[in-house]
Amino acid sequence: MSADGAAVAVDGLRRDFGGVRALDGVSFAVAYGERRAIIGPNGAGKTTLFNVLTGELAPSGGRVLLGGQEVTGMRTWRLARRGLARMYQRNELFDPLSARQNVALALGAARGPYHLRPAGERAEVDEADALLERVGLADRARDPARALSHGERRQLELALALAQRPRVLLLDEPTAGMSPAETSAITALIGELERSLTILIVEHDMDVVFRIADRITVLHEGKVIADGGPEEVRGDRLVNEVYLGKVLER
Amino acid sequence: MTRPTKASLSRGPRVRRWAPPFAGAAALVALFTFPDWSASMEGSRYASTILRDMLVFAVYALSLDVLIGRAGMPSLGHAAFFGGGAYAAAIAAERLGTDELAVTLGAAVVVAAALALVIGALTVRAAGIFFLMLTLAFAQMAFAIAFQWTDLTGGSNGFAGVRRPVLLGLDLSPPDSIYRLVVVVFGIVALVVWWIARSEYGRALVGVRENERRMRALGYDTTRLKLSAFVLAGSLAGVAGALSAWSFRFVSPNDVGLGTSVTGFVMVLIGGAGTLLGPILGAGLVLYIERVLSSAIPYSQTVLGIVFIVFVLAARQGLVGVAVQVWTRVRR
Amino acid sequence: MSPELVLQQALNGISFGALLFILAAGLSLIFGMMDVVNLAHGAFYMLGAYVALQVVQATGQFWAAVVIAPVVLGLVGLVIEPLLLRRLRGRHLEQVLLTIGVALVITDLIGLVWGREARTLPFPPGFDRSIDIAGSAYPTYRLFVIAFAVVLAVVLYYLHRRTAIGALIRAGVDDAEMLAALGVDTDRLFAVTFAVGAALAGLAGVIAAPAFGVRPGMDVDALIFSLIVVVVGGLGTLGGASVGAALVGPAETFGKVLVPQFALALIFAIMAVILLARPSGLLGRIRISR
Repeated sequence: MSADGAAVAVDGLRRDFGGVRALDGVSFAVAYGERRAIIGPNGAGKTTLFNVLTGELAPSGGRVLLGGQEVTGMRTWRLARRGLARMYQRNELFDPLSARQNVALALGAARGPYHLRPAGERAEVDEADALLERVGLADRARDPARALSHGERRQLELALALAQRPRVLLLDEPTAGMSPAETSAITALIGELERSLTILIVEHDMDVVFRIADRITVLHEGKVIADGGPEEVRGDRLVNEVYLGKVLER
Repeated sequence: MTRPTKASLSRGPRVRRWAPPFAGAAALVALFTFPDWSASMEGSRYASTILRDMLVFAVYALSLDVLIGRAGMPSLGHAAFFGGGAYAAAIAAERLGTDELAVTLGAAVVVAAALALVIGALTVRAAGIFFLMLTLAFAQMAFAIAFQWTDLTGGSNGFAGVRRPVLLGLDLSPPDSIYRLVVVVFGIVALVVWWIARSEYGRALVGVRENERRMRALGYDTTRLKLSAFVLAGSLAGVAGALSAWSFRFVSPNDVGLGTSVTGFVMVLIGGAGTLLGPILGAGLVLYIERVLSSAIPYSQTVLGIVFIVFVLAARQGLVGVAVQVWTRVRR
Repeated sequence: MSPELVLQQALNGISFGALLFILAAGLSLIFGMMDVVNLAHGAFYMLGAYVALQVVQATGQFWAAVVIAPVVLGLVGLVIEPLLLRRLRGRHLEQVLLTIGVALVITDLIGLVWGREARTLPFPPGFDRSIDIAGSAYPTYRLFVIAFAVVLAVVLYYLHRRTAIGALIRAGVDDAEMLAALGVDTDRLFAVTFAVGAALAGLAGVIAAPAFGVRPGMDVDALIFSLIVVVVGGLGTLGGASVGAALVGPAETFGKVLVPQFALALIFAIMAVILLARPSGLLGRIRISR
């Protein structure tokens, strides 16, 4: 598939940090509606990749395309307005605000902030509550984000990303730090997300990856070493040597 | 912050929701009529002068709190807009040949806003300590200009003989009239700040304060948001400056100086950043120490410094914050 | 401008720069180590000058003041850091605010104890004359200031680069957390650094006093200038303080002669430009901290 027909694609992406080459010519294309998992050992460049995709880091070379349009070097907030949303690995929430207010802020981004009408009106509250309901936080709507448990904070983190009504969703280790029950719940949630949404997910939990992913891209030392369906990747010798072998040891 | 829910549509909580605005309006009326109902009391004239000055600086503190308390942008250069507005009001009356309130106050706001736009465009991208130092540097530039441009500003001698405004034929020079003008303007500014705080714009500022990274990820242009807050805060400070120029009939380079910037910070912190009442209380307390206490004891600034240190160490949330904490604990 | 005038102004600029170096070194050190912009620095400078005044009044000895004032300020710093600043460890904005409060208290107490009129400190005997340089008289005290600053810079350089305590300070500027993890008593290190910074400010106050006088409000001027020097030259390093001082001193002096109307504004403009283009200053090293 060419980069132009993809929901999100990178072409020859490079990123250097001083002498270290974190991304070394990474190329892949994700089709609309696809669930693409990005896996690789620690230090493979997954987080750097996400940071470049969201515009928080500028690439040292290569291109980033969103919906066929070149967006290389575009600022984070502009990319967000074009339908790119991210669920951060380490929660980025508004701690003193309630769960409902957190979501309301996310919802308000589309409209822009320059409105003098009072915050928290009926329509907005209803919309926010609906989203909280969807991620399973309906009963915690009024509680400040800092008072939520870790799993609940991850749920809120997902709710924020969904509130942006994205077309491309980046999930950065969604199950990080979660108990098995919480992991199950959030994996089910992700599985239920509509197919109009394209999802890229970075994960270490292989069960989650093989449950969700349509295709898997494997990174190692900044390079793509495999790119294909789950069975293909699972059987790939290089991948097994480099990565899955280590995982099986755990 | 409570949000309206179905429950609040019933009788009890509705009363509770409307009590604060009602109390505020009542307080404003009491303030406005103060010269009348206190006329027979001893020291009434002195008291209304002190009150007037407290309200002028309450406006200043409220404007600075938009930056510090709401948007999370601590600045040490806010005096640039306060002094800028003060000089603008004074110079406009002299040069434009009219004392009309709309014109002179308008001049103060326009000059302060323009200054804030220029300085803000250059400083707003910096964070934390760098923003602090950049705002300080630019304010000091303004101070230097005020100090040395003697033809325009009167230089180190200051601008004396500021003409008090006229409102559609009504001369506001008498002390009571200026006092009432200050009360009215204070009321308007407090209303503006209160409205902004509960608006979507205000919530976006809180978002920038709490987690700018997340705001950008959500699609907010935080640089523009911060700049808008900076200009808004600067404009309101300009209003305070005009009031100050008219109250004291004098503008000096110190109004643009580091001391004034610091004083604003002290007021906001002691009173309680991010609240409506906080900056007002802070201004009142600091002015009380500077004016009233200073005539009783010679070490009033030491007292202020120690009070400030205590608050920084133990009560960062200020008087209002402490009061809220005590109240929550008592209710349990 | 005649060559004699240029020479005179150049010497003025250099001696002013020398003074700025002594003044700014302490501020730079404190920021480099502790990430704190010590806004009480001007107050420390002022206190140094007033202590010197007291010492000279009591003993008639300027040189005694040169020793005593920094010691007094060092003790003040040793008290303030553990008592107040340490409680706010890690909260940089609060620490800066705290130093504001300290400045308020110190300047007011100075006014209470010594009064609020301007005072003068006589030049030390031996340096109260002028000597002939290129055809005009030039005060020997200013030459002394230059020499003193050079000697001080050499001493500080030696201590900074060649002693154990200097190494600790350099390491602390680089990464204080790492030092703590390695078992170094960073509490004590910070207290000592703050004390040294305060002492240097006090020393600057003594040295400046005969030339610039002793009066209320001198703290604000000193603070502003030390901030400019440190920002321009580089936050956190002694080298930065010297580079900054070497640039700002002559710039201020020549500016006052060439464009008297806007000399001051020009200096701040330079500061702002450098802050915008290179936030860490020409030579500085900063850690991105809140």
